[in-house]
Amino acid sequence: MSSTTPASEYIFLFRGVHWDKGLSPEQLQHVMGQLVGWFDALHQQGKVKSGHPLGDESTTVEGRRGRMIADGPFVESKEAVGGYLVVQAKDLEDAVAIARSCPNLDYGTSIEVRPLLEECPVFRRAKEILASAA
Amino acid sequence: MGTPTTKSDYMLLFRGTDWDEGLSPEQLQQVMSNWGNWFQGLIDQGKVLSGHPLTNEGKIVSGKKGRTVADGPFAESKEAIGGYFYLQVLDLDEAVAIAQQCPGLDYGIQVEVRVVAERCAMMERAQEAAAQAQQLAGTPA
Repeated sequence: MSSTTPASEYIFLFRGVHWDKGLSPEQLQHVMGQLVGWFDALHQQGKVKSGHPLGDESTTVEGRRGRMIADGPFVESKEAVGGYLVVQAKDLEDAVAIARSCPNLDYGTSIEVRPLLEECPVFRRAKEILASAA
Repeated sequence: MGTPTTKSDYMLLFRGTDWDEGLSPEQLQQVMSNWGNWFQGLIDQGKVLSGHPLTNEGKIVSGKKGRTVADGPFAESKEAIGGYFYLQVLDLDEAVAIAQQCPGLDYGIQVEVRVVAERCAMMERAQEAAAQAQQLAGTPA
C-alpha cells in the first residue's frame, strides 16, 4: 500500500541458533573463527551499528495491563530470536546480500532482515486516515 | 563493549502487527499518543537507549550459503515482531515492570523481555568443548 521509504538501517534477527549441535570441537572452532571473521569484517567496513546475542531466558508479558507474565518463548524453538545485529546497508537488497554472507547459515541459522523505521507503520496509517477524515 | 554501570541491558521485543484491527481512528490516536509519551518518558529517564518500529516488509535468509531468500510473512500476524526497545535497567523485574506499562498490551500486543548477553552462549559452549578436547588431547595416555 504505502510506499516504503528507503531505510538505511536494517535489523537482522537470528533464529535457530543451536548451530553447535552435532559438530566436533574442530568444526566448532572453525565455525567460530568464520563467524568472528565475518563480524569483524562488517565492523571494519562500518556496517555494524549495534548487535548482541540474547540470553537464553525469556519472559513474555501480555494481556490487559500486562497482567500475564510467562516464561518463553524457549530458545530451543525455531521462532525464538537468539541475537540481533543492526546493520547499515544501501537498500534491502544490499542488506540481504550481507545476511547471505553469514557463515552460520550453513548450520541451520536463519536471518530475518527487516528495515528499521522512525515511525510505526500502524501509526502512519492512522495518521493518513485521520488526515483524510479531517 | 562499554557499559560501565551496575545496570543490565534488556530488549523488549513487541510481537503482533495486527493489533490496530477494529480500532477507530480516535482509539488509534489515543494509543499513538500514549505510546509516544511512554517511550519519551523512558528516554528521559535514561531507561530506553534506543527503540524502533520495523516495517512489515522484509526477507528471511536461510539455507546453505543463504541460497533461500523468502518474503517474510510479516503482514498481519500475532507473532511477528513489530518493533523493539533497548533498555538499561537494574534487573529483570524492572524490565518486566516497564513491559507491563506498554500501551499496546490492551490491544493484544505481546512483549517479550530478553536479557542482552555480552557473549553468545553457543560460542561459550563451543569454546568449552574445544578447551576440553585440547585437554583430552594433551593428557598422556
